[in-house]
Amino acid sequence: MSRLRAPSTWLVALLAALSLALPPLLDKGQRTTYVLLTFAVMVTVGLSLLMGFAGQVSLGQAAFYAVGAYTAALLARRGVPPPLALAAAPVAAAAVAAGIGIPVLRLRGHYLAFATLAFQLIVLTLIAQARGLTGGDVGLGHIPQLMPDLNPGQDNELDLNDPLYFCYAGWLAAAAVVAVTLNVVRSRPGRGFRALATSEIGAASAGVAVAADKIRVFAISAAYAGLAGGIYAFFFGFLSPGSFGVLLSIQFLVMATVGGLGLVWGAVAGAIAITALLQAVLLAASIPGLPATAPSILSYAVYGLVLVLVMRFLPEGLLPALAGRLRRAPS
Amino acid sequence: MITLLNLLLTGVATGCAFALVATGFVTIHRVTRVVNFAQGGFAVVAGYITFSALRAGLPHGLSELAAILVAALVGVAVGLVTIGRRGTPALASLIMTIGLGIALYAVEIVVWGDQPVQFEGLPGLVAAGSLTLPRQYLLIIVVTALAFAGLGVFFARTYLGKVFTACASNPFAARLAGVDVTRIGIAAFGLGGALGGLAGVLLIPLRSLTFDSDVDIAINGFAAAIFGGLNRPGAALAGGLILGVAEALVAGYVPGGAAYQKAVSLPLILAILVWQAARRPESE
Repeated sequence: MSRLRAPSTWLVALLAALSLALPPLLDKGQRTTYVLLTFAVMVTVGLSLLMGFAGQVSLGQAAFYAVGAYTAALLARRGVPPPLALAAAPVAAAAVAAGIGIPVLRLRGHYLAFATLAFQLIVLTLIAQARGLTGGDVGLGHIPQLMPDLNPGQDNELDLNDPLYFCYAGWLAAAAVVAVTLNVVRSRPGRGFRALATSEIGAASAGVAVAADKIRVFAISAAYAGLAGGIYAFFFGFLSPGSFGVLLSIQFLVMATVGGLGLVWGAVAGAIAITALLQAVLLAASIPGLPATAPSILSYAVYGLVLVLVMRFLPEGLLPALAGRLRRAPS
Repeated sequence: MITLLNLLLTGVATGCAFALVATGFVTIHRVTRVVNFAQGGFAVVAGYITFSALRAGLPHGLSELAAILVAALVGVAVGLVTIGRRGTPALASLIMTIGLGIALYAVEIVVWGDQPVQFEGLPGLVAAGSLTLPRQYLLIIVVTALAFAGLGVFFARTYLGKVFTACASNPFAARLAGVDVTRIGIAAFGLGGALGGLAGVLLIPLRSLTFDSDVDIAINGFAAAIFGGLNRPGAALAGGLILGVAEALVAGYVPGGAAYQKAVSLPLILAILVWQAARRPESE
């Protein structure tokens, strides 16, 4: 697996400054896109870690997203303070992941992909059927606000639940995910994960607990998705199983693939690139005169072609390959 | 008692259908070690082709045959893309099959739209005493039996089948013996495509067809296939039957069970995975 040099501190600072300066300039719809992008970054970083280090594909990241969202929403609706409910979201997702991962990850080969797909279908079916608890297909509303208004009733009342502040909440959470992941990768267990990526047998003979480490990586990736889901619940204030379909899991897979498996900054870039591409596709599909199915046709075609072309011609990831070419070019 | 027998019979029939889907997974994985996520897509493509052929006035039988041929060609195409280049890692092949499955959605929506379509299979029921079974189910049981017998003979008795098995057991040694492993792998994809198509033309009359029916079709077939570690057709048949019967019993006896059918079969899949893990922790 090709390793990229980490981007320089300056580049990271520039990216941070730009992304922090952006939200006030956006309109309401664009702010929603921005918030969704921060969620995608969190989920993709986790998935990239799982694919790059444990060599496993998860087609169920959207299910962990849903587990986090419904955990946070149901707890908050039952009177648990919203921040506490949010904190429970990643924990629940990680616990569920460990529950599936302990049996399935003991198998070699690519069973996890199907197990997670099956798991996602189970989660969607359960959410749709358990009407009493989750609202079923109709959806779950009346989710309390994440933060109380500051200075309510006064002139300087501040509504912290405005999309603008969710942009920053999402940014902070995504930044935390990136920072934690970078530290995990550099830590001693992280070196074990990296050994896993090159050779499982080699790692095992060097004393890496292969099965346990794979489960840990899987649980971490699910926790990230759960955290994103928790914020999602408070941001939209409404959940329905239709928002967490299999296609969403595929979207995260596309983002991780484009960014290069196992590359933290690659996952961030992949999430940004695919979000931008999708916005462009949706814009193209809204040209009058195209059939109503145009958006779905175009997005399926984009997802499919990106996955195939990247894996066939640039298996180390589109963005790492581009970066490598730039570096090699005589300056 | 009669209800139980009838439920068992329905279970066996749906189980045969699962097993038929499983044969495609097994054939491809045995030879190429690729878990093929486009497998459900082969069935869906075959279903759509049959639908169009029947509408164009072609008779039953001929329409289905044409559909299976197209599915085989789609299988070859998927094989060419995913394993055509030697040394493609298994993870990359797996992701490519997912990508091809999704790209297939786009083609299917362009050609057939995103609204469900339906076509008739064999009409009517067969009755023996007070036992009844829709004729289409009987057809599925018969075709499944023939398909498994045919595969058994193919792998064990024919020269080409032995070449397939050689690639499956040791690709390196097969290459030393002069076998073009990549070409055989692509042929396996073609055979897998045809089997997926066969399952599709038989199953889809029992349900309606949309472009994303492939997930439902594939997931049960996969569950049956992992029963034999994705490599043994016989175990896949057993897996399919167990799954089908369990589903029929739950739908028949648990109040409101039909609504939870998916939520029953899917945990069973996970349970099979767990059981496989406990049994053979070190094998593929």
